[in-house]
Amino acid sequence: MPTLNYSQLAPILIVLGGALLGVLVEAFLGKKQRGPVQIVLALGTLALSFVWLLRIRNDVSATAAMGSVATDGFGIFLQGAVLVLAFLALLLIADNDHFAPAASALPGSEEEAQALLSGTRTTEVFPLTLFAVAGMMLFPIATDFITLFVALEVLSLPLYIMTGLSRRRRLLSQEAALKYFLLGAYSSAFFLFGIAFLYGYSGTLSLTDVGTANIFSVGSPAFLYIGMVFLTIGLLFKVGAVPFHSWTPDVYQGAPTPITGFMAACTKIAAFGALLRIFYGAFFLMQFQWKPFLTTISIITMVLGAIAAMSQRDIKRTLAYSSITHAGFLLAGVVALNKDGLAASMFYLVAYGFATVGAFGIVTLVRDSSGEVTDLSKWAGLAKKSPLVSVAMAIFLLSFGGVPLTSGFISKFSIFTAAYQSGNIAIVVVGVLSSAIALFFYLRVVLMLFFQEAPTDGVSVVIPSIMTRIAIGVCAVMTLILGVYPSLLLNLVNTMATLVH
Amino acid sequence: MNILSVVTLFPFLGVLALALMPKTNTYQIKIVALGTSVVTMVLSFVLAIQYKSPASGFAFVTSHAWVSSFHINYALGIDGLALVLILLTTVLVPIVVLGGWNESEGGRWSVKTFYMLILVLETFMIGVFAATDVFLFYVIFEAMLVPVYFLIGGFGTGERAAAALKFLLYSLFGGLLMLAAVIGIYIISAQQVIGSFDVSALSHLSIDHTTQNWLFLGFFIAFAIKAPLWPFHTWLPGAAKAATPGTSILLLGVLDKVGTYGMIRFCLTLFPDATKTFAPYIIVLSVISVIYGAFLAIGQKNINSLIAFTSISHFGFITLGIFAYTSQGLTGATLYMVNHGFSTAALFLVGGWMVSRRKSAAIEDFGGLQRVTPIMAWMFFIAGLSALALPGLSSFVSEFLVLLGTFTRYPVAAIIGTLGIVLAALYVLILVQRSLHGPLKSGNESMSDLNLREKIAIAPVIAALVILGFYPKPAIHVINPSTTSTMSQMNVSDPHVLAGK
Amino acid sequence: MRTSSLLVYLIALPLFSSAFLLLLGRIADKWGHILATLITASTFVIGAYEFMKMQGQAGESRAVTQKLFEWISVGSLKVNASLLLDQLSICFVLLITGVGTLIHIYSIAYMSHDKDRRRFFAFLNLFIAAMLLLVLGDSYLNLYIGWEGVGLASYLLIGFWNHNPTYAVASKKAFVANRVGDVGLSLAIMICFAQFGTVSFEGVKAGAHGASSAAIAGIGAMLLLAACGKSAQFPLQSWLGDAMAGPTPVSALIHAATMVTAGVYLISRSNFIFDASSTARLLVVIVGAITLLFGAIIGTAKDDIKKALAASTMSQIGYMILATGLGPVGYAFAILHLLTHGFFKAGMFLGAGSVMHGMDDEVNMRKYGGLAKLMPITAVTFGLGYLAILGVPPFAGFYSKDKIIEVAFNAGGLKGILLGGAALLGAAITAFYMTRVMVMTFIGARRWKAGSHPHESPILMTLPMILLAFGSVASGFLLSNGSALVHWLEPVVNSQNVEEGKPLMPALVVSLLALGVVVIGAAFAIIKYRTVSDVAPENVSEFTKAARKDLYQDILNDRLLVAPGTLLTAGLVRADDRVIDGGVRFVGSFLGATSDALRKVQNGFVRSYALLMLAGLVITVIAVWVIGA
Repeated sequence: MPTLNYSQLAPILIVLGGALLGVLVEAFLGKKQRGPVQIVLALGTLALSFVWLLRIRNDVSATAAMGSVATDGFGIFLQGAVLVLAFLALLLIADNDHFAPAASALPGSEEEAQALLSGTRTTEVFPLTLFAVAGMMLFPIATDFITLFVALEVLSLPLYIMTGLSRRRRLLSQEAALKYFLLGAYSSAFFLFGIAFLYGYSGTLSLTDVGTANIFSVGSPAFLYIGMVFLTIGLLFKVGAVPFHSWTPDVYQGAPTPITGFMAACTKIAAFGALLRIFYGAFFLMQFQWKPFLTTISIITMVLGAIAAMSQRDIKRTLAYSSITHAGFLLAGVVALNKDGLAASMFYLVAYGFATVGAFGIVTLVRDSSGEVTDLSKWAGLAKKSPLVSVAMAIFLLSFGGVPLTSGFISKFSIFTAAYQSGNIAIVVVGVLSSAIALFFYLRVVLMLFFQEAPTDGVSVVIPSIMTRIAIGVCAVMTLILGVYPSLLLNLVNTMATLVH
Repeated sequence: MNILSVVTLFPFLGVLALALMPKTNTYQIKIVALGTSVVTMVLSFVLAIQYKSPASGFAFVTSHAWVSSFHINYALGIDGLALVLILLTTVLVPIVVLGGWNESEGGRWSVKTFYMLILVLETFMIGVFAATDVFLFYVIFEAMLVPVYFLIGGFGTGERAAAALKFLLYSLFGGLLMLAAVIGIYIISAQQVIGSFDVSALSHLSIDHTTQNWLFLGFFIAFAIKAPLWPFHTWLPGAAKAATPGTSILLLGVLDKVGTYGMIRFCLTLFPDATKTFAPYIIVLSVISVIYGAFLAIGQKNINSLIAFTSISHFGFITLGIFAYTSQGLTGATLYMVNHGFSTAALFLVGGWMVSRRKSAAIEDFGGLQRVTPIMAWMFFIAGLSALALPGLSSFVSEFLVLLGTFTRYPVAAIIGTLGIVLAALYVLILVQRSLHGPLKSGNESMSDLNLREKIAIAPVIAALVILGFYPKPAIHVINPSTTSTMSQMNVSDPHVLAGK
Repeated sequence: MRTSSLLVYLIALPLFSSAFLLLLGRIADKWGHILATLITASTFVIGAYEFMKMQGQAGESRAVTQKLFEWISVGSLKVNASLLLDQLSICFVLLITGVGTLIHIYSIAYMSHDKDRRRFFAFLNLFIAAMLLLVLGDSYLNLYIGWEGVGLASYLLIGFWNHNPTYAVASKKAFVANRVGDVGLSLAIMICFAQFGTVSFEGVKAGAHGASSAAIAGIGAMLLLAACGKSAQFPLQSWLGDAMAGPTPVSALIHAATMVTAGVYLISRSNFIFDASSTARLLVVIVGAITLLFGAIIGTAKDDIKKALAASTMSQIGYMILATGLGPVGYAFAILHLLTHGFFKAGMFLGAGSVMHGMDDEVNMRKYGGLAKLMPITAVTFGLGYLAILGVPPFAGFYSKDKIIEVAFNAGGLKGILLGGAALLGAAITAFYMTRVMVMTFIGARRWKAGSHPHESPILMTLPMILLAFGSVASGFLLSNGSALVHWLEPVVNSQNVEEGKPLMPALVVSLLALGVVVIGAAFAIIKYRTVSDVAPENVSEFTKAARKDLYQDILNDRLLVAPGTLLTAGLVRADDRVIDGGVRFVGSFLGATSDALRKVQNGFVRSYALLMLAGLVITVIAVWVIGA
C-alpha cells in the first residue's frame, strides 16, 4: 500500500486539478463564457498552488511519494519560480487573439474564416498550459527515472500543441510544431534509452541508488557512460544546448509569442532543475567522466549561440539564440558543482525568466496591419513613438547582456563566481568573451530602437491590455530590483539551495 | 548621512526633480540642472575644506551592506587622489551646463532628458572615485557608460549612433575582462581570509606571481581602453567627433580619468609584483601614445578629433608617470589628470563655440578669427598653450613632474617623451595659425564674440590653469600623501641620487 | 646671503601691467603705452637701486635673494619660487630694463599709427617680466619659466601682425625652433635632478664635481642645445631671420639686445658645469665659431636691412658663445661683448626702424641711398654703432671683440689658431657687410621709390637712439677700464683662478691684426658698393646665391625634417585607420562571417537537425568513453 504525502504533492495536484476542470469547462460552457472563466480558473489555480507551496516551503522530505519525488528547498523554490513565471506568461496568453480560432482548420480556408466570424477562441490553451506547468513542477523534483520521464512528457506534449496554435503565419507555426514534436520525440527516445542503460548498469531506477551504485561497481562502466550521455542529451535538448539546439530558433519563431515566452522561461527552469538535481545528485561521484564534456558543451553553447545571434534579423530568433547562449552560462553553473553554483543557477533561472517573459510580452505589442512584426528592421526608431515600451525593452536587453544594475549582471556575476570557485577558470574567460560578443547584438537592437529613424511603413505599438501591462511591468521592475538590490533573492536562494538525496 | 555620500548622491536629487518637471519648460529645466550642479560643487568644496589626509586608508569612510551574500558593501571613502578628481568633476559639470547652454536643443530627445543624463552621469562620476568597494567601483564603472552612450547617440552629430556603439562595445569589452579579474581576486580573498571587495583589505592579500599577472591584465586592459592608451584608442576620436562639446569634456576630462585612476588605485596597489613585471612594456606603450597621438593630432583636419588625439598624447604622459612609480611620476600623473581635465575642457568649450558658430568643425573653414572674435581667439590660444604645457600654466608642472619622475627610473623613455613637447608645439600652433591667424576666411565675417554666459563659463577654467600653474602647492599637498601610501603599498622607493653629496 | 624684498617687483610690476592692459581692452588705448613705459622705467630704477646697494658690499656678499613661496615639493624634489640677484644677473637686469625703457619710449612714436598699440605695449611688458624672471630665477626650473615666457612674448610680437600669413608662419617657426632648444633645457634639468637631487644653481654647483664626467658633459651638451635654440646658434639659427617680421623695436629689444643673448646667460650661469667638462666646452666653441662665420657670411648678401642686422646679431652672439666656451676667462668677455653689443646693435636696429619710418616701411637697402643728409641723427647714431661693431678703437666693440679674438688665439695649439682665425675672419666679414649696409643706406645715389619723402624721425625716436649711441661709444671703455667687469663677475664665474697659458701672440699684435682685417673688409665693401643697382643682380657668384638663401639652411631643414615629418604624419593617419582600427573592424567582420556561416547550418530541415544531434551524441559518447577508460 503506497503512502503518499498529499500535502507535499498538493501544489502539483492542484495544478492538475485546475487543468482537468478547464477541460470540463471546455466541454460544458458556451463560447461566450469560456474565455473569462478559463482565465480566472487558470490564474486562480496557479495562485492557489503557489499559496500552498508557501505553506509547505519548510517541510523537506525525500519520501513524499515513495522516494520518487524529493520536496527540498531547491525543488520547492523552482516550483515556485515556475508558478510565478507561468502566472505572468498566462497574463500574456490571456491577453487576446494570439491563437487560431480553429486550430484544425487549414490556413486561409473557408472553415477558418467561419470560425473567425463566429468569434471562436481556442480556450483549450489554458488547460494545456496548466498541464505543462504541472509537468514542469514535477520535473525538477522527480527522483526516479520513470517519474522523470513522465514529467518530461507531461510538460512537452502540451507545448507541442500550443506551438501550432498561432493565429497568424499559421503554416510557419504548424511547421514549427511538427519539428518540435519530431525532434522532441527523438530526444525523448534518447532519454528513455539512457534510462534503460542506467538500469542495466545499476539495476535501479532511483537517482540516489544510481549515484551510489558505482561504489560497489555493479555492471560495466560502458553502460553507465552510454546511459549517462543519452539521458543528459535528452535534457540538453530541452534546454537548447549546442549541438542539440537546432529546434530552438524555428520553434521560438513559429510559436505564438506568449507561448514562446512561457516556454523560454519555464521550460528552462524545469529542465535545468532536473539537470542540476541529476548531476549534483546521481552523477556527482562520476563527475570526472562528465565534467569535461559538459564543460565543452557549455563553452560551445555560449560561443556559438552568441555568434549565431549576431546575424539574426528577426527579434524572436534573436531572443531564441540569446536563450541558447544563456543555456551555456547556466551549464557553467551545473559544472561548478558547488553550493554557490546551485544557488547561482537558481537566481539566474528566475532573473532570466522575468526578462524573457517581459521581452516576449513586448514582442506581442509591436504590430502592423498584418499582426506582430518581428522583423528587426521594422523596429527602428520605435523609441520616438513609444518611449516607455522601448525603455522596457532596453532594460530586458541590457539584462540579457549582463549590464550592471540589471538582474542579468548579478546572474552572470554569481555564476562566474561559482565557476571560478570550482577552479574552472577557462569557462569564466570564455563566458566573459562570449558575453562581449552577445552584447553586440543586444546593443544593436537598443541602437535600432533609439537611434535610428523610423521607416515609413513603420510599425505601431498596440495599447497593451491591463494584463499585458501588469506582466511587462512586473518583469521590468523585477529585472531592475534584482539588479539594484539582489539580496532580496540572493538570500532566499542561498537558504533554499539544498538538495535531499 | 556622511557628507561624501551627500556629495555623491546630490546630483541624483536633481534628476528626480527634473523627472517631475514638464518637458516643455526648457529654461527652468536648465536652471534646475545648473543649480543642482553648482550646489554639488559647493558641497564638494565643503568636503575639501573638511578633508584631512588620513594617516592610512581613506577619509570620510562610510559602509553599508549591499549584497551581503557576496560581502559587497556600499562603501565610500576618499584619499587625495580621489578628492582632486571629485573636485575636478564637480567643477566641470556646472561649467559644461553653462558653457553648453544650448547644445541640449536639437538633440534626438528633450532638453529634460539631456540634463537628467548629465546629472545621473555626475553622480556616477563622483561615486566611481569615492567607491572603496571594488564591486561597487566596477558596477559604477560599467553603469556610467550607459548615460554617455545615450548622450553621444542622442545629442551628438554626424556618425553619432555608430560612434556611441563603438564606444560602448570597447568599454564593455574591457569591463568584462575586468569582471573576470574582480571575481578572481574576490575568490582569492575568500580562500585566504574571508570573501571581500574592500580595496584596503584586498591590498593585503598575498597572491602568487602568475595569478597576479593575469588579474593585473584583467584590470589593466579595461583601464587602458578607458584611458585610452595606444593601441586601444580608436574609439576615442570618433566619439569626440560625434559628441557634443559638453559630453566630450566629461568624457575626456573625467570619464577617461577613471582609467588612469584605476591604474593607480587597483593595478599598482593590488598587484605590485605584476606592476613591476609589466611596467617596462606599459612604459613603451605610453611613449608610443605620446608621440603617436601628437603626430596624429598634427594630421587631423577636424578640430574635435585633433583635440581627441592631443588627449591620447597626454594620457600617454599620465600612464608614463604612473608606471614609472616614482613620487614625482605618480604625483605628476595625478596632477596631470586634473590639469588635463581643465585644459581639455577649455579646448572643447571654445572649440565647441567656434564650431557651433561656424556650423563646421573642419579646421580649413576657419581663419583670421583673431580679427573678428578677439576674445574667443584669445581663450582658444590660452587653452592651446596649456595643451602644449607652457611653463606658467598648470599643465607644465604636471608634465614636467611626470618626465622628471620617469627620467629617474626610465631615462630613455623620458628622453623620447620629452620630444613630445616639440610636437605639442607643432599641433597647437598649426591649429592656432590656421584658425586664428592669417586673413579672414569667408564665412567667418559675421561670427560673434563670446557673450557674458560664455565668458563666465570659461573664466574659472582659465583661472584654474593659471593659478595651479604658479601655485600648485594646494593640489600637490593633497596628492603627495596618497602617492606616498601607494608607493609604500607597492613597497618601492625613489631611485637614489647618483652623485649624491 | 642678503635678502631683498624688492626683487619680486622687478617681475610683478611689468607682469601685472601687461595682464592689466590686456584685460582692460580698448579702454586703456589712450594711456596704455604710457603706463607700460613708466612701469619699465620703474623696474630700471629698482635695478639701479639694487646695483647701488650691491656696490656697497664686498665681492663675496653682493648677491641678494628673495624667497617668494614653495612652488613644487614632491618627494626629494623641492623647488622654491625664489629669486637670485648677483653680479651676473644685475648686468642683465640693467641691460634689459635700461634698453627696454628706451625702446618703450621709441615705440610710443614708432607704433603711434597702429590701432593695437596698447596690445603691443602689453606684450613688451610681458617680455620684460619674463626676461627678468629668466635672469633672476635661482634654479633651472625657475629660469625655465622665464625662458618659455620670453619665447611666448617673442612669438606674440613676431606675429603681432599675424593677419599676414608669412608673419604668422615666422612666429610659429620661432616658437618651434625654441621648443627644440627647450628639449635640451628640460633634459639638462632632468639629468641634474637624477644626478644631484636638486635643480637649484647652488645645489648643482655644489654637486658638480661629484658627478661622472659623462653626466656633466650630457648636461653641458643639453644646455648648449637650449642656448642654440634661444640664441639662434647653429644648427637652430634659421628662425632669427624670419623673426624680423616683428615690429622693429621688437627686433631691437628681443632679437638683438636681450632675449637672443639668453643662451650666453645660461652658459655663463652654468659655468660650474662647463668648467667641469672640456667636452662640453669644445662643443660650445665649435658652435660659436661656426655660427659667427655663418651669420657673417649670410649677412653679406642680405638686401633687407633688418635681415642684414639679424645676420650680424647671429654672428655677434656667435662671438659670445665662442667666448663662453673658452673657460673661466671667457665668461667675462662674453658678457662684456653682450653688453656692448646690446647697446650698439639695439641702436642700429632703432636706426633701421627710423629709416623705415622715414621710407614708409621700405626695408630693401637697394631702395635707399644717400639718406645721411635727410636723417642726420639717424645716420650719426647708426654710424657710431657701426664703428662700435667693427671694433674700431676706442668704440665699445673694440674692447669686447678684440678680447674675444685674443682669448680665442690663446686657447692654445691648433684649436687656438683655428678659433682665433675664425674670429679674425669673422671680424673682416663683419666689417665688409656692415660697411655695405652703411654705404647702401646712407651714402651714394638716391634709389628711392617715387613718392617717398624721407625725413628725420620725431624726438621720441631719436632720443633713445642718441642715448644708445653714447653706449656704443663709451660702454666698452667704462666696463673694461681696469677690467672692471672681470672683477665684478669674478665671484660668480671665478675667472680669477685661471692658469694663464702663455699667449700665442701679444695683445697688441692681435689688436693690430684685427684692425687690419677690418680695414681691408671695409675698404673692399666701399669699392664694391660705390654704385648699387636698385634691383638685386641675378648673375652673381654661387657663393652670393648661397648666402642669399641663408646657405640653404631652410631648404636643408625642409628636406631633413619637415618633408619626412609630413610623410610620417600622413602615413600614421592612414595606418591608424587601416591597421589599428582596421584590426578591430576585422574581428567584427570575422565574427559576422562566422555567424552567416552558422545560419546556413540552420537550414530548417528536421532531418539535418536530427543528424546534427546524432553526430553530437556519437562524439560525446566516444569522448566520455575515452575519458572514462
